[in-house]
Amino acid sequence: MQDSADALVKLAIKAGDPYVAAAVHELATGASKRRLEAQMMGTRRTALSLARWEHTPASVLAALSGIGDDAVDLRLDKNPNTAAGVLSNLYVDASNKKNLDLTKLIAQHRNSEAGILKAIALHAEDAESLLALSKNPSANAEVLTCLSARLAEDELSVAVNKNIAQNISAPADLLERIYRQSDLHTQAAIIGHVNCPDALIAEAMDSEDLLVMRTLARDKRVTVDTLGRYARSDDAGVRCGVAANAATPVSLISDLINDRSELVRREIASRDDLLPVHIVKLLVDTDVWVRQRLARNEIAPLPVLKAFAADAQADVRRAVARNAQCPLELLESLATDSNAWVRAAVAYQHHSPPELLVALAEDEDVDVLSGVANNPNTPQRILEKLVASGEADVRRGVILNKAATRHTLLPLLEDPYYLHRILMVANPSMHELDKWNLREDPDYQVRFSVYRWAVKNIAPINARYIVGNEVIRRRRV
Amino acid sequence: MKILVAVKQVAALEEDFEIRADGKDVDEDFMLYDLNEWDDYSLEEAMKIKEASDTEVEVVVVSVGPDRVDESLRKCLAKGADRAIRVWDDSAEGSDAVVIGRILAETIKKEAPDMVFAGVQSSDQAYASTGISVASYLNWPHAAVVADLQYKPGDNKAVVRRELEGGLLQEVEINCPAVLTIQLGINKPRYASLRGIKQAATKPIEEVSLGDLGLSADDVGAAKSMSRVRRMYVPEKGRATMIEGTLAEQAAKIIQIINEFKGA
Repeated sequence: MQDSADALVKLAIKAGDPYVAAAVHELATGASKRRLEAQMMGTRRTALSLARWEHTPASVLAALSGIGDDAVDLRLDKNPNTAAGVLSNLYVDASNKKNLDLTKLIAQHRNSEAGILKAIALHAEDAESLLALSKNPSANAEVLTCLSARLAEDELSVAVNKNIAQNISAPADLLERIYRQSDLHTQAAIIGHVNCPDALIAEAMDSEDLLVMRTLARDKRVTVDTLGRYARSDDAGVRCGVAANAATPVSLISDLINDRSELVRREIASRDDLLPVHIVKLLVDTDVWVRQRLARNEIAPLPVLKAFAADAQADVRRAVARNAQCPLELLESLATDSNAWVRAAVAYQHHSPPELLVALAEDEDVDVLSGVANNPNTPQRILEKLVASGEADVRRGVILNKAATRHTLLPLLEDPYYLHRILMVANPSMHELDKWNLREDPDYQVRFSVYRWAVKNIAPINARYIVGNEVIRRRRV
Repeated sequence: MKILVAVKQVAALEEDFEIRADGKDVDEDFMLYDLNEWDDYSLEEAMKIKEASDTEVEVVVVSVGPDRVDESLRKCLAKGADRAIRVWDDSAEGSDAVVIGRILAETIKKEAPDMVFAGVQSSDQAYASTGISVASYLNWPHAAVVADLQYKPGDNKAVVRRELEGGLLQEVEINCPAVLTIQLGINKPRYASLRGIKQAATKPIEEVSLGDLGLSADDVGAAKSMSRVRRMYVPEKGRATMIEGTLAEQAAKIIQIINEFKGA
């Protein structure tokens, strides 16, 4: 293990590539680490690039934070991989420099420690930082409570409390306190919050405010009586909520199935508790999206799917082909549909048998071929042909096909699209050596991916691939 | 038969950047360089003609710029261009599109191609005038914003469809040799194969000096240009406002803005 890690680091040093250096940095110690850092920070341009890059590992970002370059620090504050400890140090630095832009970035960063966020809640003076903090889901209940309490008498409290009302981390007691002193918009947001206490829900059921009713209509905690009242609302948004609510009783569904708004009927068509009488009614709905949603609904019986398979609208026919319960006879007929999107749905359908996919492989449409390439039921001999497609989408379909064998995938190690080669590094069907042979790829992102893969799999990797290895010829099968 | 494709390495800006000390450009540390997107299409059009031809067609890419431009020229070689030429002298720094057009025109006179392609414009400067300047210096016919090309090597005429405002296309017959500026979407540019990239790494890039073209430092640069950058700056922000509030409030505010805009 240790020998392999050391060998990997030595190889990265020898490569002289800042992205390879970044990939193995976390394995290095002492002089080796310093040499890697010299490669990464040799020029300001490279340092800026790594500080900005969303794939740069946390250990590299930590090293970059030691440069003391404001432009680098700005990128570190924005980088989602920057670790909590680094952000804490950057906060101290930003505070000393009174750099409000950096403070705001730390206030909104998902990795910022609760202690730092609390310090911002208690001490930050600028509105931007406080507003950013109030939106940060990493700000825990204590931080949000401190923030709300501190600004209780401040004119900023309205905006901050609106954000807290939508923050997933807001605790029930704080939501209730904010609710008592807020406008209807904020109250509606609190009613829709996952942590909204039951007492507020019960209280809000008496409200005649549309926003509150639209929100409550989707809440499973609402009483049947209230849902009945909402189902008679003049507002389609409220009725839509009832139509989408899993707690809505069958009696109300029977009413809403005749609703004047197609938006309501679309929600009804997606339900999994429809009775045959409802389905019969929806089958002849004039709105294409009502029919499309019913065609996609897994409770739709065979006669309904058959009828929809002959629908004049391609979107409805496609929905049948995408339905997980679509029978083979319909897939066979839809495989010859005049619309390519419908045929593509058959190609992507995991119930499509190999013989159907073989036929679809003769199609000329790229979406159909991508579906065939992606389908685990497609025979390997077909996948081997699709690997040679001129369409990147089709080749990517084969790479993403969990049933594609190493033998099938081998030519894609030399795919002209760099992203495909990155996917090949992550593909479990490929051998270690297949992946390792991409370490000198012309694209820096591929090289980085190979070395990152090696770092993460350092224990299983046989050191003979690495130690003193200049050239390994790819084994052909 | 030879097609010469004029290409440019363009700079894309990072989200956060700093202006150079002299205030005339962005600090290079904050620029990301790549081949101009339009040039991907003009090179592909040349490659299509080459690959469809029964006779031998040579595709030559030319760029005016410093050493870093080699990377973009190698990208062109990797995609199948036969040769690459880079013209540079430090005195050319600050040249405007018209001066660059003159440098390219002198290169073209030496190369004597049957056709010249350039991108409609560069993504960083967007003057859309380099290709036209080249045609002017050569006194060749030209067609700009070419969205479709019918041309076979050896033909003395080409038929092009030019993209105009309002979705109109104008079909034009043009005498050859000609300079065509190629529009995005005319084809689907290829990715360079791994083999192509490896081969391109070993291919020489011909470095041409101003003297080789019969030009001197007095013919190029900012002093010789008809337009010069006085300063580059980020304008004051002011018109954009963030819409805050709950999601419902934000939606209501957007609806209100749209209604006001429509006069509803």
